[in-house]
Amino acid sequence: MLLICGTVPLIDLGLTIGEAKFDGEKLFINNCEIPCTQGTAALISAACVTAAYCKTSTPRVAVAGDNGSGKGSRLLYDYLIANLASVSPNIVLLHYILPVMGLMKKVCAAAGKCSVKPVMIADASSMYAAKAAGLAPEFDIFTPDLCEMAFLADATAVHPAYISHHLFSSEIAQAQELITAAYKQKSAAKTLLIKGATDLVVEDSKILCTISEPNIPALEAIGGTGDTISGMIGAFIGSGMSHREAVIAAAKANRKAGAYARATPATKIRQIVAALPASLKDVTI
Amino acid sequence: MIFNSNKNSRFEGGGLILFQNVEEAIRAEKVLKSVNYETRLVAPPPELRKGCDLALEINIVEMTGVERLLHQKETSFVAILPIKGAGELLDVVKIKDFDDACMVKAGNMKLTFDKKTGVISNISGGGCPDIPFLHISMLDKKLTEVERPKDKGYTLCALMLDRAFTESLEIWQRGNK
Repeated sequence: MLLICGTVPLIDLGLTIGEAKFDGEKLFINNCEIPCTQGTAALISAACVTAAYCKTSTPRVAVAGDNGSGKGSRLLYDYLIANLASVSPNIVLLHYILPVMGLMKKVCAAAGKCSVKPVMIADASSMYAAKAAGLAPEFDIFTPDLCEMAFLADATAVHPAYISHHLFSSEIAQAQELITAAYKQKSAAKTLLIKGATDLVVEDSKILCTISEPNIPALEAIGGTGDTISGMIGAFIGSGMSHREAVIAAAKANRKAGAYARATPATKIRQIVAALPASLKDVTI
Repeated sequence: MIFNSNKNSRFEGGGLILFQNVEEAIRAEKVLKSVNYETRLVAPPPELRKGCDLALEINIVEMTGVERLLHQKETSFVAILPIKGAGELLDVVKIKDFDDACMVKAGNMKLTFDKKTGVISNISGGGCPDIPFLHISMLDKKLTEVERPKDKGYTLCALMLDRAFTESLEIWQRGNK
């Protein structure tokens, strides 16, 4: 079972746990409609589409409303700390949750008590919390963009807002230096998908392959295109793919979806999600 | 802001608020705790000390909301800094030109606007929970007609989005003079 956890922009929504249902346009969790914006909603929508394509079970999700105050994030941390061992999902995908280092440590400890340690995936602020708390090696997959890769490479930064200027200025040509630094100081997950004009698939500090076609520069501007990749990765692993196969397939499918949607800088993420069923058919491993 | 948080001596927030005197520190603690921010009074390390020898540890990610609340409550402080690292917020921006649109990157946040209309066409990047809220409130609106992200958001991602927003507004206004 794939368990996805993250906050959504519905301030009054309490902790909501259930199967995600996506009908191609609208996302529902326990009959509550979640707006398909960038963030965890886009991630869940992409995971649902991918699970349907792979004919595997619908993702289970835990979401809560949070406007940045941390209220919903706290509900999610408490749920995970108290229930992860008994739920024992195969895969845990952590997303938009206010980074709190002490609570992330407790979540990782709870994951260690599962009957079989789940595959641990973190994106967005959960990746920030995992790195800042020194927990990155506990995770199987991170999906940073180049700026976030610079954050992982910066030994002292607790958030990308505080990375060193010279690291922020890094271009894709310097990616290997960032990767080496991040693994050396144990700030990287076992597998990284570094998202950019060229996507890099990295394991244990080595770039294994690159993906650069189709080249759709507008995807960088579209809020949620990283979230859809993470959602697909979780669902692909749930279907039995290896971690490496899953990140490659997700990166390719996202690019193809951008092509199908004829993406421009004004394209919305729901249009990319709508193009995923077609793009998934094109992706071969 | 952590609700119903237990007092925990092992709280690791990664950020410090520095004060001129002890009274300011005590008052700030009271203000922040009144709305459930997790805090801890600590002695600042010598290299960060700028005023008195009492500081307040906070979750540095929550800096934007903390700073706004202290200003609203007229609570004085000297600075808010990360405990580790250089202590300077990233202030560099990168500009990417699309034919009809301009994308401004500040740290992990990117804001894209239409060059002809000044309408915000997309916001991407980031990862803190206030970003989807800001995304909804700003999308498809003119740069000149939205509130600054740092006035509505709570986190460092909101602060980076604010940096991208102010740069975008400047570029837009410069192009329309």
